[in-house]
Amino acid sequence: MKLRLTILAAGAVAVMTTGSAFAEGLTFKTGAIRYNTHSKTNGISGIGIPAGADAQVGDASTVVFTIERALTPNVGVELVLGIPPTVKSRATGSVAFLGDNVLSAKNLAPTVFVNYHFGAPGDALRPYVGLGLNYTKFVSIQSKLAPSVQMSESMGMAWVGGVDYAINRQWGLYASASSLDVRSNVVGVASTVLTTSIDFRPVVYSVGASYKF
Amino acid sequence: MKHLRLGAVAAVALALLAACGGGEPYVPGTGSPNGAPTTKGNFTSLVSFGDSLSDAGSYAPATSLTGNGAAPYFGGKFTTNSATGTVWVENLAKTLGLTITPAEVGFAGSSAKCPAAANPALANTCTAYGQGGSRVTDPNGIGKSGGALTVPMSTQIANHLARFGSFKATDLVVVFGGNNDVFVQSSVLSAKATQIQTDAAAGKITADQASALLLDAQTAAQAELKTAATALAGYVRDQIVAKGAKYVMVWNLPDSSLTPFGGTLSASGRATLTGLVDIFNLWLREGLKDQPVQLVDANAIFRDVYTNPSKYGFVNNTVPACDATKIAAITGGAVTDGSSLFCNSTAGAPYNGIRTGADVNTWQFADGVHPTTGGHKALSDIAAKLLQSYGWF
Repeated sequence: MKLRLTILAAGAVAVMTTGSAFAEGLTFKTGAIRYNTHSKTNGISGIGIPAGADAQVGDASTVVFTIERALTPNVGVELVLGIPPTVKSRATGSVAFLGDNVLSAKNLAPTVFVNYHFGAPGDALRPYVGLGLNYTKFVSIQSKLAPSVQMSESMGMAWVGGVDYAINRQWGLYASASSLDVRSNVVGVASTVLTTSIDFRPVVYSVGASYKF
Repeated sequence: MKHLRLGAVAAVALALLAACGGGEPYVPGTGSPNGAPTTKGNFTSLVSFGDSLSDAGSYAPATSLTGNGAAPYFGGKFTTNSATGTVWVENLAKTLGLTITPAEVGFAGSSAKCPAAANPALANTCTAYGQGGSRVTDPNGIGKSGGALTVPMSTQIANHLARFGSFKATDLVVVFGGNNDVFVQSSVLSAKATQIQTDAAAGKITADQASALLLDAQTAAQAELKTAATALAGYVRDQIVAKGAKYVMVWNLPDSSLTPFGGTLSASGRATLTGLVDIFNLWLREGLKDQPVQLVDANAIFRDVYTNPSKYGFVNNTVPACDATKIAAITGGAVTDGSSLFCNSTAGAPYNGIRTGADVNTWQFADGVHPTTGGHKALSDIAAKLLQSYGWF
């Protein structure tokens, strides 16, 4: 975990500090993202919890900000930050009667990608693919089943594919889809102790505008 | 621009710092006691707090042969009573070369503290505080309305401190209680569950509403047991260990569904009972985390006895050795539930309440939940082995 954090930190700092002149080769993007989870859990366990208890994580939308520094005409390092969305889960399986919003949390999820941009600078349309690291911390965790809930942080691989469209030298539009490896162990403490592991398996779609220096 | 750049770096650094907050979440009940002594105890007293399992005869006056509360008594302990029908704390005391007598004896409004002190040589032996029906904190134990003392464990400990001032480093303190809290909450929960199911069957509430109400009822029972177990761990920490006790053995609860009583319950009733015992044990363990005591996993031990009775010398662990019909006759119809408190096993005695064909040594249970003479011996043998394994004896 420590090592991966260091790599993430190094990557983030690299985005900010590489190159001699600050703004040169930097691209800023902002847009809307849709966070579609395809969660799987190992079930909810706890003394007195009926067998087959489970939960499904819902989808969320938020706003994203990214900053990418071009290292070469085709390779860039990109840091993705978003306004943490509130992700809600609903009860399923034998406890479906508990209904919606049995667990909610805000996902604080910075991601660093190394992207490869096809084509050449100046092309109107430039598809890109990237590979990176996602770190997710869950905050503002709430559950109507337990007054105290803790979720472990997640560090995992991230993949992205997208396309940039240049309107002029500075402004452009982009669209991307990414997939993240986000897992968390959840422990809820009430009169009993509830545990589960969630594999969120999110696919994140994003569209927005870009500005290039 | 320099400022913007620094600001951005700072924001990232901040996000990463926040990242270093913590690893895996803590799961309550996964810790352990820690720091109990490993040296021989040279014990001078066995001090026992608990319930009917550790009751050395508190309610004997209820079994007066003359019917006026005076000796001789035909029962008084929750086992197959006789001259040799002792309970596990008495057996364990004997193994240690000690004597233990009831801290208080009485029934239905009149009681005497430390009656053994009539013999001055026994004045310090009245350290068997466990009483049938006693709960952890609630003075309204099982049988209280029928005349039982049911002094709760909190008061049992306070009484010891009042009498002796503190614990001694040469006391062996055994704490084994909470079963009656489980029984009380289990019956409250069962009554609620029956009502909910009746309402659901009558169409007054939907199936989902019934499920939600059942979960609420279960949560309420669990919360009571979390409170009781946490309180018991607190008494051990603050009133026993902190008051000078060095050798403290705390037993968690066996699964009462693995008894003749449990055998009379429905499958869901047994599962409920098991779950409530597990909740109590979870919070007891959590409360004793890092405390310098030995926590005995009685739950695992009794499960092993239930699964492998022959290993412990038992040929029957499902049928009570006491005969409810005989006991009803002996008590003139006053006791109809076959309680072993009124069960005598003396051969040929007119008040013998043993089931025809039963054996008090090879049958494990005297009544629905309490051990026979043999059952108590198995328990004290297990306790003695544990003391040896701790290096205390």
